Formats: sequence, structure tokens, C-alpha cells
Amino acid sequence: MTTSSITVAPHRFAYGFYRQAWWNWLIGTAFFCGGLGAGLFLISLATGQRLGMILGYLVVVLGKNGAHLLYLGRPERFWRAAMRPDRSWIARGIWASGLFAMSGGILLLPMILGSEWHAAASIATAAKAIAIVSGLFIMFYDGFVMNHSAAIPFWNTQLLPLLILMYATLGGTTLTITLGALQDYESRETAWLEKAEPYLLIANFLLLCVYLLRMSRWTPAAQETVRMWVKGRYARVFFGLIVAVGLIATLMLSVVQQQWQAQGLSLVIAGCELTGDFSLLMLMLKSGLFSPQTAPAFGARGNGI
Amino acid sequence: MARLGMVIDLKRCIGCNACTLACKQENGTPEGVHYARVITREVGTYPTTRRTFLPVLCNHCDDAPCAQACPSGATWIRNDGLVMVDREKCIGCRACAVACPYMNRHFIEKGLLEHGYSTDGLSPYEAIKFAEFEEGTMTKCTFCAPRVDQGLEPACVVTCPTDARIFGDLEPEDGKLQKLIRERKGWTLLPHCNTKPSVFYLDE
Repeated sequence: MTTSSITVAPHRFAYGFYRQAWWNWLIGTAFFCGGLGAGLFLISLATGQRLGMILGYLVVVLGKNGAHLLYLGRPERFWRAAMRPDRSWIARGIWASGLFAMSGGILLLPMILGSEWHAAASIATAAKAIAIVSGLFIMFYDGFVMNHSAAIPFWNTQLLPLLILMYATLGGTTLTITLGALQDYESRETAWLEKAEPYLLIANFLLLCVYLLRMSRWTPAAQETVRMWVKGRYARVFFGLIVAVGLIATLMLSVVQQQWQAQGLSLVIAGCELTGDFSLLMLMLKSGLFSPQTAPAFGARGNGI
Repeated sequence: MARLGMVIDLKRCIGCNACTLACKQENGTPEGVHYARVITREVGTYPTTRRTFLPVLCNHCDDAPCAQACPSGATWIRNDGLVMVDREKCIGCRACAVACPYMNRHFIEKGLLEHGYSTDGLSPYEAIKFAEFEEGTMTKCTFCAPRVDQGLEPACVVTCPTDARIFGDLEPEDGKLQKLIRERKGWTLLPHCNTKPSVFYLDE
């Protein structure tokens, strides 16, 4: 049996690859907000940008958690999602989100209220440490949520959490630069980030290539997804939005920005990068395929499928 | 300790979908929810083509990925190996559906329980059976646990006109199921997923 002989099944009574239709745009939005918000918060923390920290915090707490709540079939029972951190990455993510919300809130409250934290510096230090660890966890755990099961071979690789982490870092970096540029370009503390961004974009591009190359040699279901990305129905989104807009245009404009610094250009760069980032997550979810339920009568017993 | 399982003889299956209907009748599942179904494929090249059938249902895996993925503990495994869903604990995150390589988890969408198969609302039977479901939660095949607990076999097993399904305990080495699996080289679906299914297939 060859990959080309198997097509995407129109329904569950037919034979073929089966489309992942459970996790939709709301989950994509939650993953996007989680990675972007936590990335923005941590990189802003590193560069001392208060506005970035506040925005990043709000994107995680309101955007990510809000999208998750809207998606749940029984949102009033959301607290139950934290019950099994011993075995579920979703439960671990809930704990990380909770810790991030608390520790980030403790860090940000004095900034929002306009007073410095004097009462208990040790609490502030602990909150900072917890916010960093939980924020970092939020940046990549979605990758483990997706790759944990072998049901969807295109996701079932250790490269996925790394790819998710890299895109979250890129998104956070780009937005931190943009916010820095919008606030006060002359006295910005993000010059080193601007120098680092092109290298980060190239690293992401290379990682994406490695990912697709690896998947093109994986199981037939993974190969079919790669085919859909490169030559099939999703080729326009992949080459147009993820590669051309999200990576190449962002790279070229970020190089131009280092010479010709303009606030408007920063906004365009942020728009391009975020478009690519969001498109990648949505395409990941939308193009996930379950393997065919193989049988000898169908020509194979399923090993490797 | 018992480990309930099923052996399906593909040489006997004629693809009549009686199991699909028996399951729907027994469980009263809403529209679009099929715990048991028969996957059909045409193989060969004209004029030597034939239609082949693969009856599928929840595999009640020993190492169930749906149970591992469930963050709320709603998916649990009975002592006899049946994988169950506690609908009152289910939050409707659908992680179990994404984790199941056999696609045997089903989500009760909002509004699904408001209409039956007829256009005039719910039939008396649907009104009773639909009360066992809850919108926004997952549901799945239980090997007809209420029947099994009464010492009966699952509906799909008793309905099969060709006796293609054999239900019983997989544990005893000298048991009927193990003997069949051994003698006729029984196999499971998607073995590379390492889920240790309790549903075996025979084709030799």
C-alpha cells in the first residue's frame, strides 16, 4: 500500500486518513495567546519593559484562558481540568497558568498601582522566579499537549514543543521590540533584541524545514500532512502566510528596520510575524490526520501506519 | 482479575452493519454518534474488485491514551478493563478524542439532544435514552456495561448474524478468546501506538 493510494476519508465509515476536527480555532487562539503572551511577558521582564509585561500577562490570563473557557463543553467545570497533573499535560498547563496568573499579578500590581514593592522583597523575588518558570512552561507545554499521543503522527514528535517554544520566543521578541519602538524609540532598551531577531527568524525557518523533512519520512499520515502543506490544499497558507509573510517578509523588514528606524515599520513587522505564528498553529491543528484503521483485508495490518 | 475483550472474525463479517444498528438501539445514541461502525473499502482493480469490511468499536485499551490525556479524571478504567466516562466529571475538552488513535470517542454537541431522528422532536424512546447523555461532554462505547453487569453480552455481539464477534475474558490463557487469538494469529489495530487493545481481529 502506498501513501498515494490512501485519501482523506469523507466520513468515519469510509477507509482513509481521518481529519482532526476536535480542536478548532479556539484552541488555536488559546495556544497562540499562551505562547505569545508568555513570550512577551518574559522578554519584557528581561528588558525591563513594564508595558510589555502587563500586555503579555493580560494576553495569557484573558486571551489564553478565555479562549480555553469558551472552547470547553462544560466551562463551569473548568477547575476539574487541574485534577490529574500526574498524567495530563493539560492539567499541568492549568497549574502553570494558575501559578503564572498569581505570581505575575503579584509582580505587576505595584507597577499598575504606581508604587514600588517595598513590603516584602522576598515575596517579590519568589513571585518573579515562579512567573519565569511558569511562563516558560506556558511557552512550550502546548507542544507536549499535542505530541503526547501517537494518534496524530504529524504531532507525535519531540520537535513540536521546540518549534512551539521557538515561535513563542519569536513572537515575544517581535512584540517587545514593537512596544519599545512605540513608546520611545530613542531611549529604547531593545536594541540587542533587534539585532537578535533576524537570527531567531532564520533559526525558526530552519527548524520548520527540519520538522517537515522529518515528517516527510515519518508515517503515511504524517507524509500526507506534509504533502497537503507543500503541494496540496494548504500550500497557499503555508508558503504565503507562514513562510513568505511570517518569516521572509518579517526577516527582510527587520533588517531594513535596523537601518531605517520607524514606528510604522515596527507595527508592520509585528503584523507579519504574528500572522505567520497564528497561521502555523492553525494549520498544525487543521491538518492533523489520524492514521487509517488498517487491516489485512485492506492490504496491510497497520505496522508503521 | 478479568480483562473483558472481544475477538472479531473478519472472515465471517459480511458488512451488514447490524452491529451498528444494534448498538444505536441499545444505547440510544443521538444522531451522528456511532459507538460501533463498519469501515468499508473497495480493493483491487476492475474487474477483480471486492468490498472489504472492518467492524470497529472502542478497543478498551489496557494502556488507554484517552485515559492518560483526560485532565479531569472523567475517563477511568474498571477492574474488568472497561474504559468508562464519568459524564459528571467531563469538562468537554476533547483531549481524549484527539488522543484516541481509533477515533472512538464522541462529543455531544450543544443542541444534539434536542432533536431525534424524526423531525418532530424526540420519540418516547429517545426521550428516555437521551437523558443518559449530557451536552458538552464526551461519550463512548462501554461494551454495553449495563448488560455485561447482568451477565449478558454486548448488543453488537448478540445481534451479529454470522457470529463474527466473540466476547469474554481475555485473561485465562486457556480461555476461549486466548485460544482463538493464539491459533488464528489474532492481531490488533494500529499496534505501533502501543495501546494494548482488548479487541482482537482474526483473518486466518
